[in-house]
Amino acid sequence: MPGSEAAAAIICRGLSKTHPGGVEAVAEMDLAFSEGLTTALIGPSGCGKSTLLRLIAGLDMPSGGTVSILGRTPAEQRREGAISVAFQDPSLLPWLTVQQNVALARRLARQEPDPDHVARLIALVGLDGFAATRPAALSGGMRQRAAIARSLVTRPRILLLDEPFGAVDELTRRQLARDLPPLWQGRGTTAVLVTHSIDEAVTLSDRILVLSPRPARIVADLAVPLPRPRPADLDQNPQFRAIASLALAALSCG
Amino acid sequence: MTPRPGLIGAILLLIGWQALAMELSLGLILAGPLEILRWLFEHSGLVARALGRTASNAAAGFLLGNFAAIFCAAIAVLWPRLQDLVLGLALAGFCLPLIAIGPILRVLMGPGEGPQIVLAALAVHFTTLAALLIGLRAVPAVWLDLVHSYGRGRFSELWHLRARAALPYLFAGLQIAAPAAFLGAMVGEFTGAERGMGVLTIRYMRALDVPALWSVALVAATAAMLAHAAIGALARKLLREDPPLLLAPPRVPAARSSLLGPVILAIAVIGLWAAAIRLAGLSPFFAKGPAEVAAALFHDPALRDGLMRALGQSAGLAAAGYLAGLAGGAGLAVLVTLRPGAAGFVLPLALALRAVPIVTTGPLIVLLLGRNALGTVSLVAIMIFFPSFIACLHGLRQAPGQILDLFRVHAAGPLAQMLHVRLAAMLPAFFAAARMGVPAAILAVTVVEWLVTGRGLGSLMALAASTSDYRMLWSAVALVTVIAMLCHAGVAAIERRVLGVYAPEQMRP
Ligand SMILES: Nc1ncnc2c1ncn2[C@@H]1O[C@H](COP(=O)(O)OP(=O)(O)O)[C@@H](O)[C@H]1O
Ligand SMILES: [Mg+2]
Repeated sequence: MPGSEAAAAIICRGLSKTHPGGVEAVAEMDLAFSEGLTTALIGPSGCGKSTLLRLIAGLDMPSGGTVSILGRTPAEQRREGAISVAFQDPSLLPWLTVQQNVALARRLARQEPDPDHVARLIALVGLDGFAATRPAALSGGMRQRAAIARSLVTRPRILLLDEPFGAVDELTRRQLARDLPPLWQGRGTTAVLVTHSIDEAVTLSDRILVLSPRPARIVADLAVPLPRPRPADLDQNPQFRAIASLALAALSCG
Repeated sequence: MTPRPGLIGAILLLIGWQALAMELSLGLILAGPLEILRWLFEHSGLVARALGRTASNAAAGFLLGNFAAIFCAAIAVLWPRLQDLVLGLALAGFCLPLIAIGPILRVLMGPGEGPQIVLAALAVHFTTLAALLIGLRAVPAVWLDLVHSYGRGRFSELWHLRARAALPYLFAGLQIAAPAAFLGAMVGEFTGAERGMGVLTIRYMRALDVPALWSVALVAATAAMLAHAAIGALARKLLREDPPLLLAPPRVPAARSSLLGPVILAIAVIGLWAAAIRLAGLSPFFAKGPAEVAAALFHDPALRDGLMRALGQSAGLAAAGYLAGLAGGAGLAVLVTLRPGAAGFVLPLALALRAVPIVTTGPLIVLLLGRNALGTVSLVAIMIFFPSFIACLHGLRQAPGQILDLFRVHAAGPLAQMLHVRLAAMLPAFFAAARMGVPAAILAVTVVEWLVTGRGLGSLMALAASTSDYRMLWSAVALVTVIAMLCHAGVAAIERRVLGVYAPEQMRP
């Protein structure tokens, strides 16, 4: 099993979630995410990816099964400030500037203020001149980038990214895919990235889980043994194309 | 900003007003702008002192009632199970007949400023609380997820999210509260204060001093409108946005709906009432507890008959005015929407007049319309009319643009749009106004009965207070409060039914 050489940071056992309306989003899922690696989840929309992420973060209670993060419950890890989520919807607070929105995460995680780190991250996501701007004056893609900066500012041990580049334009998306991963990779952060895009999954992750339509099952578990740092023209690489076509094949048979 | 049409309109209004007042037969009940100016000039010191006193009492009550509302709202949002109880108790306070509570507080607190302040606080507490509860919930679920994802709980929710999200709603509530506090303070002054605009109103009403009455009413109305405008300006400055146009506080979804809620509320009200009398050590001659009121209502036929007769006189007038005001407000809103040109003129006028504490000018209106049923009904109707009109107009404009566009694509005219889209969009605002109108109608009818017509519940309560018939007074308070709450609940039940069909998105918890 890919990633099994490292210890598992997140372990899901028999995880199920039936939403109040009776929609079964996740059924009997057994999963382990290796510590320090980035795992991509791809699957058709509505298959239960966000639900799975929320279960891992402990934001929703599972209908069955357990989640264990580094030996403890999600709730305990959240209280330690060990988890960060970049939500599908950027969810910036409209009355705060970009800088204040990013800094808010550190306050919520009970961490010391670190204005330099905040400024660095804002620059890194390409929002250099916009630190003092309110979200209403930003485009959808810019808001998402601010939300990514916010999710990274606490240096989380567990980073959960739910389609973080959904509203970002193609060019910026490629740039972010190159610039952002070093911020958490190689630092022991365990990341789970939900995405629609196969290319993004291959570019960013060490492992790809392809999910079936609802309720989500794992239909393929692919290792991405491409070296890091990954170059900008990675998608020309034959190994990249091979993994991408495997993922596409798995996705299409569902 | 184009002040021109407004300015011209105002000048025309003043001229017309003066001309009417100079018409001899009307001169007995209507004072023109010139007479008012002269009277105010001659009595400026008196009016300034009275206004200062009333304004300071209103301000004290405003602070007290609103701080209490903020406190209650925080409790309700931190412990959602308590929400229905907190809101129910606040509603009970709002449904108390101010003009009977006034004399009771007067006995309790003496001749000072206490009753005025408490009545002002009572007049603002519920509306601000309801607005705050809406605002505190105006937080998308994903923001809450953000707070939870860092392991924080409801105190952080309140501090980082809800408090700030509620600010525009708080200001909108405070804007409505400013004239309400003025009204509460003046009603408090009606019940035997030494100084204030309410005292002047009573004095000149008894003397039928027409120019003085008009002057006092005009000054009171202007002060209330200025307070309303000042809070709006403060909100714009602080929030850098207009406060939401909160017409009547929208429906606060019940935390959980069951029959248990009203039962718990009734027990809480009765328990608090009995405990307050016991703990304050009030004289049994004056203070009547729930048991004595129940005994009086059930075992004293004379008292019961008197009360029922008065209730019969008041209820018809209040209901007629209430329905007329609602229908008039909704009807005019529909007409104005069908003829959009008119809205530009009517809306600012209505917004300004909404800020006038109508009841304080009530004696004048009855003077104009006659000391008969028509006058009373008209006053109640006017009291209900402005909030309903503004709320309905706002609701009509909430119609979803895309659906209206669909109608336009198919060349369906304004009338079809009105029937199929806008009327449904108006319903939530209409019912919000209808609920808030219930206590307002009772307040209006009792004040007029007390100050002017000498009939019905208002007069009965005033008489009971002046003859120290405290059994009657407390019984009347209990009866009126229960009826007001039942009517409020009845309107809310109709609202749930109707909105369940026409606006199900409003019914989500
Ligand atoms: N809070 C909820 N209540 C009811 N059903 C939900 C809720 N959240 C998600 N669902 C349903 O669960 C399924 C999976 O949703 P989600 O996890 O958001 O999918 P994805 O993120 O893969 O697009 C969908 O059918 C969705 O409609
Ligand atoms: Mg999703």
